[in-house]
Amino acid sequence: MRLLRFIAFSVVRAWQGFWRNAMMSLAATSTVVLMLVLLSGLLIVLAGLDSGLHYIESKVGVTARLRDNLPQDQLDTLLADIRVLPGVKKADYIPPEEALNRLKQFYREQGQTLDLGGAPISLYASIEILLTDPTFADSVQTALGERPEVERITTRQVDYQKLLSIIGYVRTVGIIALGLVGLTVLFMIVNMIRIAVYSRSGEIEIMRLVGASDSFIRWPFILEGILCGVIGAVVTIILVAVAWEPIKPIMVRVFQMPTAVSTEFLAVLSAVILGVGLGVGALGSWISVRANLSSAA
Amino acid sequence: MTDALRLPYVAVPDAVEPVISMVDVGMTYPNGKVALVDVNVSIPEGDFVFLVGPSGAGKSTFIRLLIREQLPTSGRVVVAGRDLSTMRRSQVPSLRRRIGIVFQDFRLLPAKTVYENVAFALEVTGATSAEIRKRVPRLLNLVGLHEHDEHLPAQLSGGEQQRTAIARALVHDPAMLIADEPTGNLDPVTSWDLIQLLIQINAMGTTVLMATHNQEIVNAMRRRVLALEHGTLVRDESGAAYEREY
Repeated sequence: MRLLRFIAFSVVRAWQGFWRNAMMSLAATSTVVLMLVLLSGLLIVLAGLDSGLHYIESKVGVTARLRDNLPQDQLDTLLADIRVLPGVKKADYIPPEEALNRLKQFYREQGQTLDLGGAPISLYASIEILLTDPTFADSVQTALGERPEVERITTRQVDYQKLLSIIGYVRTVGIIALGLVGLTVLFMIVNMIRIAVYSRSGEIEIMRLVGASDSFIRWPFILEGILCGVIGAVVTIILVAVAWEPIKPIMVRVFQMPTAVSTEFLAVLSAVILGVGLGVGALGSWISVRANLSSAA
Repeated sequence: MTDALRLPYVAVPDAVEPVISMVDVGMTYPNGKVALVDVNVSIPEGDFVFLVGPSGAGKSTFIRLLIREQLPTSGRVVVAGRDLSTMRRSQVPSLRRRIGIVFQDFRLLPAKTVYENVAFALEVTGATSAEIRKRVPRLLNLVGLHEHDEHLPAQLSGGEQQRTAIARALVHDPAMLIADEPTGNLDPVTSWDLIQLLIQINAMGTTVLMATHNQEIVNAMRRRVLALEHGTLVRDESGAAYEREY
């Protein structure tokens, strides 16, 4: 019961304190929102890029375009040889008809129609090789280069490397930006609590004199910082939820990966936003309370 | 300080368990200012004691040591059976509930009513609503403010504000009430009203230690007087006047 009274007391005082210095509190909350929106943006972009990376990893590692009219026995031998190469997970023969169907399907997904003015379309037959790891692409490519049945070899190794470097760049820039905004947020919350402590110094002095424990004195201020972080997080979650529908098609178009924008991802993102908001609020107020309330006995 | 100034003391019998005991207490601030020198005092439970002396004599330091706002640089301070030098920080709140304190400037919360000011002291120590509803009206009745419970401090006279502060100081049924210049901001008539209240509280068993410059009150009351000068206890006399009479 005593614990419940303590919690109720601290929450009520934190709420009152938050609104007593409304301007400062709202300014600090706004910076929390700014930081969390940036964080959300970064996580969404990184999720899209990661998804793209996995897509590339999961799709064809190496494609071997075959000479026209390759006899079936040569094709079978080639397929058997490829399947025993190190790093090859799967090798499938794609006849010209299927290649054409895929091309048409791709155009349909883009909302277009494949139209060459009635001219016949003939695509090459190929073997699509899925690798256990994209790093095997070079050795498989070398092995295929020695085969007369193969006319040309294409690989998405370059795309993979390019995407990896983009992800690394985005992650670095994002983390630096987040770190700077995070420091600003901490500074704002530390100041907000410092001002709250000074504006209530009379109350604090009386609390000490009448025998209030440290917890009763400190926790309302810590909760006030947490409140700032949580309100900032809730506002950000609402913003992300509202922006979600417009974001989704953009994500699909840019990253071509519908899985990057699943509802599960939104749920995880909301949990991360809430956790970070709460954590930053608690850390800022804890630092401030330690600095401004620890000196007095 | 010379021995001639420090003596003679009039011994006060320690038949009753002391609620305050200071043994060889010295206090020197970090800036080198000496606030108290070898102070030895024992105040038994139920006593009414005046703490007198000119400004800067060490009265405030004396009080700050009793509520453990500061620790002495030498000697021991024991309050209500607890040695404050060895007391853990976490035990300080429970000590302060055993000591009520009022100041010259009242230190009431201006946005809270009389009732809320007194209730606040219970609320911040985890009292239940039922306890608050039970205790606050009783205390406001004791200090004669039951009809002013909805008033804000600004709507009260100085004497009424000090009574509110006294009610707040008594919420935890303290063993001792420390009054630091409680009549400093009050007119003579109101001051006497307040002294009557302190006498009444003392008669109920609470030890009262009152720091004051008010010679008229000290001389009229003829209670125990502790006189400080330059940090030294120069007089500890029962039934005494504000100034030495011999």
